[in-house]
Amino acid sequence: MNTSAPSMTASQDNGGQTRALLFALLPVAAVAILPLLPFVNDYIIAATVRALIFISLGQAWNVVAGIGGLLSLGHGVFLGLGCYTTGILFNHYGIPPWIGVWAGAGMAAIFALVMGSMTLRMRGVFFALATVAMSLAMVQLTRHFVDLTGGSDGLALKFNGNSWWAMQARTPMPFLYGGLVLVIVFYAITRWILGSKLGLEMQAVRDDETAAAAAGVSVFRTKLTGLMLSAVMTAVAGTLYMQFYMAIDPDAAFGLSQAIQLQLPALLGGLGTAWGPIVGGALMIFLSEVTNLGATKLEINGLDILVYGIMLLFVVLRAPKGIVGFFMDRRRGR
Amino acid sequence: MGGIEGFIFLALQAIVSGILVGGVYGILSVGLSLAFGVMRIVNFAHGELVMYGMYAGVVASKTFGIDPLLILPVSFLIMALIGIAQYQIVFRHFVGHATLQQLLAAIGCALVLQMIAQIVFGADARTATSIFSGQYTLLGPLFLSQAQIVAFIIAVAATVAVTVLLRSTAWGKAVRAVADDLEAAEIVGINSRTINIMAFGLSAGLAGLAGTVLVTYFPTSPSSGFALMPIIIIATTIGGLGSIGGTFLGGIACGVIQQLTAILWNSALQDVPLYILLMLFIAYRPTGFFGKRSE
Repeated sequence: MNTSAPSMTASQDNGGQTRALLFALLPVAAVAILPLLPFVNDYIIAATVRALIFISLGQAWNVVAGIGGLLSLGHGVFLGLGCYTTGILFNHYGIPPWIGVWAGAGMAAIFALVMGSMTLRMRGVFFALATVAMSLAMVQLTRHFVDLTGGSDGLALKFNGNSWWAMQARTPMPFLYGGLVLVIVFYAITRWILGSKLGLEMQAVRDDETAAAAAGVSVFRTKLTGLMLSAVMTAVAGTLYMQFYMAIDPDAAFGLSQAIQLQLPALLGGLGTAWGPIVGGALMIFLSEVTNLGATKLEINGLDILVYGIMLLFVVLRAPKGIVGFFMDRRRGR
Repeated sequence: MGGIEGFIFLALQAIVSGILVGGVYGILSVGLSLAFGVMRIVNFAHGELVMYGMYAGVVASKTFGIDPLLILPVSFLIMALIGIAQYQIVFRHFVGHATLQQLLAAIGCALVLQMIAQIVFGADARTATSIFSGQYTLLGPLFLSQAQIVAFIIAVAATVAVTVLLRSTAWGKAVRAVADDLEAAEIVGINSRTINIMAFGLSAGLAGLAGTVLVTYFPTSPSSGFALMPIIIIATTIGGLGSIGGTFLGGIACGVIQQLTAILWNSALQDVPLYILLMLFIAYRPTGFFGKRSE
């Protein structure tokens, strides 16, 4: 069994619980006071926002892949639905992202329902292949419906300057707090799922589908609920992505390299743990910033993707439980 | 020509060129199917091996002035060696289980191979020319590319060769034994490790050969591997993961559907029916037309 819920170690005694809470508040405080520090400029804040967005996206993927064990390679679909729905509603109809975010989440839920109903009865590989096909079909469809989506050029949000109503800002600072709230909420959701009946059922299905079914778990419904939950979370994070980047194009939304960026935080940090995507997402953005600096100096394009590939191989071959899993094993003295 | 005659002509043109293109899709996919059939490995980096095969053709044609079709054996051997390296470093840990970890490792391989190609060859699209490139033949009313005809013939020949190799040689028998029941094969004295290495080498070699054939009429860039993967996956799924002949026919089906969509409807949406077909196959017939029960 590799059900490595962090709550199991943290809730053994009250002292441990307090320590865990302090441990959790430390990074939150660090991000919150970041803009006040003297050496911090907009570049560092923007990088931190990127990290927060990818932590959120990674946390959403973690729900379906880490807790549920379903390898969705097409989570870009849900990110794209979040981005495009918010953007199209704002640009064409003047509907603010505060409402668009729920429309995007609804679209993602419906999409996940349809896609899940067709593919979730299949095991592993076939589900993964179906999700790939889904995102590639989305690339072609968004390219085709130019009037709505802007086609291959992508969709750029109309800029209103600083505006609460339009969820836009000239500086990255507001997104720092928006992203921080999202990360905390998603962390709380993941913790809740891990401890809930749904989460236990998802983990049971992940570890042994046949045994779970024998124990009375409705395998298909559990998978579908997990997928829909994860899709909604991804689309919500997608809205923040759209408001921060101000533009989206078919490859950035549905491309395979974007899908991999959604997965790396959870994979690096540790699949199925609430802390994994947070640790992994921070590490991923840090490493990609460093490589991009190096790549600009050396004038090599795409070095960050090479580093992602090497990270992915390293994690899968050498540290399948990620960083968090590695340290939890050590704490248990294994 | 009247409306209905014009339509029939266009449909015929689409079907014939679809079969030609599809044959090459078939040989692109046969290697993937073989690796899955024998080792339950879904090599997401298969497209990258094809892409390196394409670059082998480019280097032969542009750097050495040799016709890409003459270096097919070389291309096969180089990719087979790269494939064996890939197997030894990554895939031997995952033999027998197409798990989440295995797919992720394959994607990691794909990213690394793609970026190495970009660093070595640059991001621009490159072409190679064989003596058939850019030559066309009129067959009755049909307008056909000679490079595509030659590519189709090579694809058929290679698929037949692999089928004969697997069906009629002692080595092929051993491969099929390992695929059917690994433990039983080991009991009767088959070294499954060697068999797996060689089968994976064959899978990768076929990818390289297919790439070199393809590049005689289709330009390559570092992202070609990712771009080809959907077609490869669809051909394999329709035909049946693990079935060589089925996969080849799956490739032809893909080619025909794609060309019919492009010519009769809209070339920008030529792949959409294929994706829908893939979803339907995954939902209702995941073993394809010719595949065995695969999990």
